[in-house]
Amino acid sequence: MAVYKRTYKAYDGALTPAWSRFLILPRSAYGYVMQSKFLVAFRMACFFYPLGCALFIYLAHNLSILKAMNFQGAQFLQVNANFFRYFCAFQGSLAVLLTAFVGPSLVAPDVANNALPLYFYRPFSRAEYVLGKMSLLLGMLSIITWIPGLLLFLIQWSLAGSAWMQENSFIAWGIFIGLLVWDVILCLIALALSAWIKWRIAAGGAILAVFFAGAGFGAALNSIVRTQYGSLLDLRQVIGLIFSQLFRDDTAPPVPVANAWTALAVCAAVCLWLLAKRVRPFEVVK
Amino acid sequence: MTKLWLAQVASVMRLELKKSFFARRGLWIYLLAFGPALLYLIHAIDVTRDHEHRQALLKSHPVETSTLQLIEPRMPEEKVLALVGEPYQRDTFRFGRRQLATFTRLHYTDGDSDYSIGIVNGVVARIDRQDRCNVEKDSAIFATVFQFFYLRLAVFFGCVGIFMNLFRGEMLDKSLHFYLLAPMRREVLLAGKYFAGLFAAVVIFTLGTALQIAALSWHFEPGQVAAYMHATGWSDIASYLGVTALACAGYGSIFLAAGLVFKNPIIPATAVMLWEGINLFLPAALKKISVIYYLQALCPTVAAPESDINPLLRLLISSAEPPAAWLALTGLAVVTLIVLAVAGLRARQLEINYGTE
Amino acid sequence: MSGVSIGEGRVTFDNVSRFYGEVLGVNRVTLAIPPGITSLVGPNGSGKTTLMNLMTGLVRPTRGEIRVLGIPPDDSEPLGRTVGYSTQFDAFPRGLTGFQVVASFLRLFGYDQTTCGRLAGAAIERLRMTDAADRKVAAYSKGMRQRIKLALAIAHDPQVLVLDEPLNGLDPLVRAETIALFRELAAQGKHVIVSSHVLHEVDQISDQVILLSNGYVVAEGQIQGVRGEIQEQPMQVLIRTNRSSALASRLFEFDHVVEARLEEGGAAVLIKTRDSGRFYRALNQLALDGIDIEGVMPVDDNVNSVYEYLIGGEGSR
Repeated sequence: MAVYKRTYKAYDGALTPAWSRFLILPRSAYGYVMQSKFLVAFRMACFFYPLGCALFIYLAHNLSILKAMNFQGAQFLQVNANFFRYFCAFQGSLAVLLTAFVGPSLVAPDVANNALPLYFYRPFSRAEYVLGKMSLLLGMLSIITWIPGLLLFLIQWSLAGSAWMQENSFIAWGIFIGLLVWDVILCLIALALSAWIKWRIAAGGAILAVFFAGAGFGAALNSIVRTQYGSLLDLRQVIGLIFSQLFRDDTAPPVPVANAWTALAVCAAVCLWLLAKRVRPFEVVK
Repeated sequence: MTKLWLAQVASVMRLELKKSFFARRGLWIYLLAFGPALLYLIHAIDVTRDHEHRQALLKSHPVETSTLQLIEPRMPEEKVLALVGEPYQRDTFRFGRRQLATFTRLHYTDGDSDYSIGIVNGVVARIDRQDRCNVEKDSAIFATVFQFFYLRLAVFFGCVGIFMNLFRGEMLDKSLHFYLLAPMRREVLLAGKYFAGLFAAVVIFTLGTALQIAALSWHFEPGQVAAYMHATGWSDIASYLGVTALACAGYGSIFLAAGLVFKNPIIPATAVMLWEGINLFLPAALKKISVIYYLQALCPTVAAPESDINPLLRLLISSAEPPAAWLALTGLAVVTLIVLAVAGLRARQLEINYGTE
Repeated sequence: MSGVSIGEGRVTFDNVSRFYGEVLGVNRVTLAIPPGITSLVGPNGSGKTTLMNLMTGLVRPTRGEIRVLGIPPDDSEPLGRTVGYSTQFDAFPRGLTGFQVVASFLRLFGYDQTTCGRLAGAAIERLRMTDAADRKVAAYSKGMRQRIKLALAIAHDPQVLVLDEPLNGLDPLVRAETIALFRELAAQGKHVIVSSHVLHEVDQISDQVILLSNGYVVAEGQIQGVRGEIQEQPMQVLIRTNRSSALASRLFEFDHVVEARLEEGGAAVLIKTRDSGRFYRALNQLALDGIDIEGVMPVDDNVNSVYEYLIGGEGSR
């Protein structure tokens, strides 16, 4: 009998179901991410605006309080599609920053430490690995974007009544679909850059650069080449166009909304391609 | 002693320059620096081809500028055709429920400008003129792109890449001890690295600015360019190049310090970017603790932000009340020196702790 | 100052502690390292590298004071000229050849190009690396990188050499040459401070050892002296004689002898004694009394045994 057979006893306890095994990835990554006090503080700060919005909705439905306080501009307190659109734009911007802070810790350390082969020795597929890592960021982004957005919508519904809800149900869909699409795009960009840039600080910089430098480059393209299609390089503007469609804005968009959807699809496809090229169970030694 | 320090600064620079210019991880900086120049080049090629096309159209459909200017609103279509002849292109659109109403566009060119005459129900409804690019218009566009994209984003992120790499990058590569074991004051090391980064940033970004200007002026007639140069051209170019170099010095010092003080310099970089962005809304005393406040004052043209820019970018493009040029230069130098002094103090306390990176 | 006087010719630690947040690096270290070869020995995480980083100024003490031949490690200019450190880190400035690495390092000292070339060439030759000097360091094997690190450390002829596991990755021939180099440098009156986990090599080369465990110095000094101070572990001596049984029974008469065991088929006796001084005097007397003794060999006054006794199974490699 081989020595190891005499000394080694295989684990024979209960196993986690195969379908949910990948959830170990977000669980362990969450613990790592939350070690940062700054990140905890930042996530808390992300709820200030939704809290302010909730207060705004409450006041808009309780004008008597404002009148008692001699507030003159009560007529401007309107909770409509624009109100929720601004909410989406603001929380969407915070989501970009959260992505830049959290995203680089997802794949970059595994690539830098040649840990990917270790993952794939386990019963993990590449898709499960990506899904596992992505679910952490997607969860964190959802908590500050569409979840509070829908809660605000529910508050407004409860205060304004069913008639308002029937008339404005598109807002709920707009919040959910728009912000979910945005969160998924952010996750894909973060994962792709984190997989290609081993230095997580540089990966964080690259994520910010994609959004800010992309916006600037798009604006420069618009100015220099006298076009509007540079806006498609600015992902914030792209999602803004999609929000304008989802929130039924009548203003003519600078570029057709279909192009914005195409731009997001191209962005997602490029990110997936980058991930497929990089997240592999072997390392390339140069 | 000063001679030794200078020799040591030169030695550090020799080692760092290669890294700053040719590091693979820094290739994206060239994209930021030369991307706008590429856009200007594309524009120049487009304008040149467009001009050649118009000249060809003029030959086949000759028309005088003075004659085109005689066309007025509500003029019958027949009279227009009698005046300037057949257009080189005619577009007809039908609209209305039964498509009975028609809208016609007649296209003419005098070789420089395009004229589009809109005819509704047989009479001139509107006249659109698209002029060829001129130096003044393009200069204004350049000023906007330079201040709102090149300075605030390209140079900003470029300096993040170059200067943060000097210390933090070496920590990550586990090679910083090479310098710390040499008989060299930490301040001398800091100076050597800063000047190396500054040299690289200035060369890359001023070259980028120069290429943008060259590409911008490429499609103009030599006479137009000469006239512009004779007027304010040279001083404008010198200002833009100087502002670019000063931006590298200012942002460079900040990101060098950030790379020394913070383990994750992305957080301070984001904070600096937002700080620079909200400059307009800051009280006068706080405004002066920023780089963009002084840089904008030194730009030859005050650029206005575009009105349709998105909220995120709007945050970045707020402008500040400009100080006098001498004050701007002094202020920028003071901000840079204070930040470098802080970095020097931090460098003295610098320790090797690669394991926690 | 408590405990240690700051000697100009010594590397001194006075009640030095270093913590990495809540993690202990070294604690309350008081040492005075004389010239010669000194080995730092201890299991992983015992604080060897921290001690070396402290004396070369790469990290600062949380408490206490350090002097390297009278120079505080904060004073990087004189310290850099006095100390040469071969670190455990394998990274070098990118894109340089072995020669360029050493010459570039020397340029930081302010030497002119000719001097740098000469000194770099000499250091590289001393490590037998001349053939590979013009190749990029990135293409070097582990052993070659180790030798270039050693060349970097000795190139400016420092008075104190701090070498973190310098023999790692070297083949036997180069190992022997490198040990000879250390001996040569020590003979010149330099301090050669080496950390190593290859105990028999430490035994061969060290004039003195410093044993570290969990951040504390558990012993320091010449190995025999250290061994002698470990009272709770009886000293073991192997005696070869043709009258093993008689010798064993005579030795048992002494109260300091705790064990006598016949070895090598009766050709030798292994004695365990609590007092080596009295034991050797007794042995002399027995020899004079007519017991023919062919050889006497202490078997546990080496680093290995001392390590075993003081650090035990905590992590000895």
